[in-house]
Amino acid sequence: AATAPGKRITARLKRTLPVRGPQAPTLSELMRWYCLNTNTHGCRRIVVSRGRLRRLLWIALTLSAVGLILWQCAELLMNYYSASVSVTVQFQKLPFPAVTICNINPYKYSAMKEYLYELDKETKKALETFYGFSEGKSKVRRSVDDWNSTGSDFFEQIPLLKVEDFSRTATELHSGQKRKIEGSVFHKDSSIVNSGDSNDIIGFQLCDANNSSDCALYTFSSGVNAIQEWYKLHYMNIMAQIPLEIKEKLSYSAEDLLLTCFFDGLSCDKRHFTRFHHPLHGNCYTFNSGESGTILSTSTGGSEYGLQVVLYIDEADYNPFLVTSTGAKIMVHDQNEYPFIEDIGTEIETAAATSIGMHFTQSRKLSKPYSDCTETGADIPVDNLYNKSYSLQICLHSCFQKAMVESCGCAQYAQPLPAGAEYCNYKKNPNWMYCYYRLHEKFVKEQLGCQQICKDACSFKEWALTTSIAQWPSVVSEDWMLRVLSWDKGQKLNKKLNKTDLANLMVFYKDLNERFISENPANTLVILLSNFGGQLGLWMSCSVVCVIEIVEVFFIDSLSIVLRRQWQRAKKWWSGRQQGRAAQASDVERQGHENPACIDEDLPTFTTALRLPLPQDSPLPRTPPPNYSTLRLETAFTEQLPDTLELGQH
Amino acid sequence: EGLIEFYSSFKEMFEFFCKNTTIHGTIRLVCSGRNRMKTAFWTLLLLASLGMLYWQFALMFSQFWAYPVVLTMSVDSEPKMFPAVTICNLDPSRFELVSEQLEQLERMAEESLTFLYGPKASSRLSQLRDRNRDRDKDGAIRVQAWANLSSAGFSLSHNFSLVRMWDLRAGKKHSRVGFRLCNSTGGNCFYTSHPSGMDALLEWFRFHYMNIMAQLPPELPQHQQHFQDLVYSCQYDGEPCRPSDHVHFHHPVFGSCYTFNSKGTDPFWAATKPGIPYGLSLILRAEQKEHLPLLSTVAGVKVMIHSHNQTPFLEHEGFHVRPGIATTIGIRQDQVNRLGGNYGRCTTDGADVAVELLYNNSYTLQACLHSCFQRAMVQHCGCGYFYYPLPAGARYCDYSRQPAWGHCFYQLYSRLRNHRLDCFQHCPKPCR
Repeated sequence: AATAPGKRITARLKRTLPVRGPQAPTLSELMRWYCLNTNTHGCRRIVVSRGRLRRLLWIALTLSAVGLILWQCAELLMNYYSASVSVTVQFQKLPFPAVTICNINPYKYSAMKEYLYELDKETKKALETFYGFSEGKSKVRRSVDDWNSTGSDFFEQIPLLKVEDFSRTATELHSGQKRKIEGSVFHKDSSIVNSGDSNDIIGFQLCDANNSSDCALYTFSSGVNAIQEWYKLHYMNIMAQIPLEIKEKLSYSAEDLLLTCFFDGLSCDKRHFTRFHHPLHGNCYTFNSGESGTILSTSTGGSEYGLQVVLYIDEADYNPFLVTSTGAKIMVHDQNEYPFIEDIGTEIETAAATSIGMHFTQSRKLSKPYSDCTETGADIPVDNLYNKSYSLQICLHSCFQKAMVESCGCAQYAQPLPAGAEYCNYKKNPNWMYCYYRLHEKFVKEQLGCQQICKDACSFKEWALTTSIAQWPSVVSEDWMLRVLSWDKGQKLNKKLNKTDLANLMVFYKDLNERFISENPANTLVILLSNFGGQLGLWMSCSVVCVIEIVEVFFIDSLSIVLRRQWQRAKKWWSGRQQGRAAQASDVERQGHENPACIDEDLPTFTTALRLPLPQDSPLPRTPPPNYSTLRLETAFTEQLPDTLELGQH
Repeated sequence: EGLIEFYSSFKEMFEFFCKNTTIHGTIRLVCSGRNRMKTAFWTLLLLASLGMLYWQFALMFSQFWAYPVVLTMSVDSEPKMFPAVTICNLDPSRFELVSEQLEQLERMAEESLTFLYGPKASSRLSQLRDRNRDRDKDGAIRVQAWANLSSAGFSLSHNFSLVRMWDLRAGKKHSRVGFRLCNSTGGNCFYTSHPSGMDALLEWFRFHYMNIMAQLPPELPQHQQHFQDLVYSCQYDGEPCRPSDHVHFHHPVFGSCYTFNSKGTDPFWAATKPGIPYGLSLILRAEQKEHLPLLSTVAGVKVMIHSHNQTPFLEHEGFHVRPGIATTIGIRQDQVNRLGGNYGRCTTDGADVAVELLYNNSYTLQACLHSCFQRAMVQHCGCGYFYYPLPAGARYCDYSRQPAWGHCFYQLYSRLRNHRLDCFQHCPKPCR
């Protein structure tokens, strides 16, 4: 009586409440207590499951879930660290890209004379007949004079025509014959349609050799374009017949092209350049091509530490019809990349210092299924004709070349040869030009399927170029410099170099920051599962374990109940039929409440713990609090007690 | 206990499930068995949340199978300050104090040219010099007060003269041109040589030019050249520039330089609108009168666009503008923020860098590298490299005082480039 009511109640609580928690007498009891009360799903399931097999299955499931958790967490951790590593990569030294330099003029005109003599003569003649002018030089006039004596191959093959659009008749340039145009007319320039008054449209006609009625006429709005295109066509025929070794000799040598060379503050020479023969640009020279096994790198940005070359552009030795601009073409590319200098080269001019600052960007795309790109190009059904790593450009060119060999029987001159094929020339393949133009048109209209087959490469390196030009050489330094350079070029060259024969080029990194753009999957499997977990937890406070629970209870167990009922009904029916016994009430299904295995697992609530009578006649049936330890009220019993009692007396 | 025990009825199974499942809420279905309202309420709630779950799952799956990727990049179009712009006229002035020596040097260059390339090569140089002398006689800016300062102790050294070396390689005669550098005891000599005479001459001239320029006292007269001589017209955002907008400095190679908006605090230079009329437009004069013919071979204007409070290293990021043409330069700012810390070394303001900056501007990698190299130079060679600022108490190198500094410099420089001088380790990149 002397003790305080609070203490009395705790003593009573201790007596009535079973010993739980860390005070449990045995380890198995402790485990049981833990499993029943823990918030970790699955563990409770082990304890409450009925049947050993079921329990074993649940143990196995829970353990494998633990394993999965460890795996996923490891994945997340690795992801975290790998992501931070890719950021820490900093380049104090950046590999210098390969720089390919070509003279715009592919071959020395003086050396090409013997091959191009006929063609040039006829071109000059064409110019005179069309436009009524002759070049002032005596050699031109001479060549025109003796043109009549020699037979002409070129005009017989593919004559230049003057087309009158309205009458659909064409005047053949060299013979003056009129001919009717059949077949389709292709305008290389669409604006030609509006100029109704100009009837001086020039073009050429390409016919199928087997079927001369199948012709296509190509016309151009400007005579310049027409003559250049026509010239190029014949030029390629001629070049296709010259073997590679001779062509390399006809083009510029490294000594011809490079006057001075300076890299990263040290002088360099032609040994640092690799020759590369380009079908349209002749001999090109690649600096730092990596063929010697080492790739040069720069340690500091800035124009002094890049590549500085002075190029000798022999303007006097240019082909007058093939190229109309002077200078050099350069391209910055990766060592493994084929330089498509005709497509994406930068042109630099003579008598100027061109500085090209570079910014390096490396990009990586994710391959399938994130985007439609290819890592190595091995999965593309087009053979890589170039000896370099895959790129979209390479694929498209290779694809076209393949189609060309298949349908025309020979290979186009501007692209490498596939195995077993040879370049087109009209001695062997008189039909090829028509075939080529037809095929090219198909290619442009995406009818060949090349654009569908070829995919982007997943990773690519890119050098963004900033070009600036200064006057070079300056007025005051021009004199001494040209003297010195002429001397360097060799004393045999008696004439002083002209400044329009020279171009100064600087290629350098503006800074050594490498920009790396890479794609990361927004949804990895881990993220997907985490999202599921979040959603399940938010809406149902459920986990994978509870999904399995649902499967267990609502599919396996309910099926078993249905089956058992059916079986019992069948048995009853069978036995009733066999023995005909009428009254049989003993086989009532045992309900869950009588089932000894069903133990009320509810934790004692206050009412039960204190053995208080339940409010039987309460108008509102009270729902017992759920048996979660979090909902158990364990504190401040003294304050709560009167309330509880009050409630109890209702 | 059997191997596996089954429930005998749906009710039992359901009750067991609701009581023991880990899904919250199902327990309420059992507990509220006596009140149909409550049961219905809880059933509705459960069904609703199941519906939500189903909907969200569908969204997540469709998202997952779309295989999206993340690329972080933000585009900021807020009004900014116009960047700092530095222009140089590529015409270093012949300082009165050293003009004598510069003329001597040009005479030496002429001699070398005659020696190496025959008499015709140098004709133009002498003409030019005469012209210059005439101009001087005409009484251009002559600072008499400095005449007595004219360093009597300095004379051009003929020890470093250009020679041609022949080497027989691949059956062909190749020649290299260069000059010899030796250490202080006269040993360990090497040639700085180039296959091209042009490169060799330029390098040789630069070497001597540095020695001459090192004679100049550190305080040079400011605004020797007037702003109007380089800039004929200057407009920003349609308004004429004010005299306070530009800062002048003289660069020994790039000549007179003006930096516009170097501080970036004046609201006058706020970039309001994109487009050509709202930017800086200048008409410049690229004069080649005083031009040293062997110092640089290009003519035009050197331009660099950089951040405020940043020393412009024109040799690194500057670009050229050719005379006689209108040049339009569009700019776009890219800001790179490095995380720093464990993610990679970088410094926010350079305070935690071991190298003390010699430039009193904000931290850049180049400034740190130059400062680091200059300190190594003072430590190893006993004098400072002319193109970089001096640390306290040091002097610029010249060969009348330190005859072997060239040797020392070239060796140190190759060590820097090969990363054997730990400047690259000491200088982190700036964080932004």
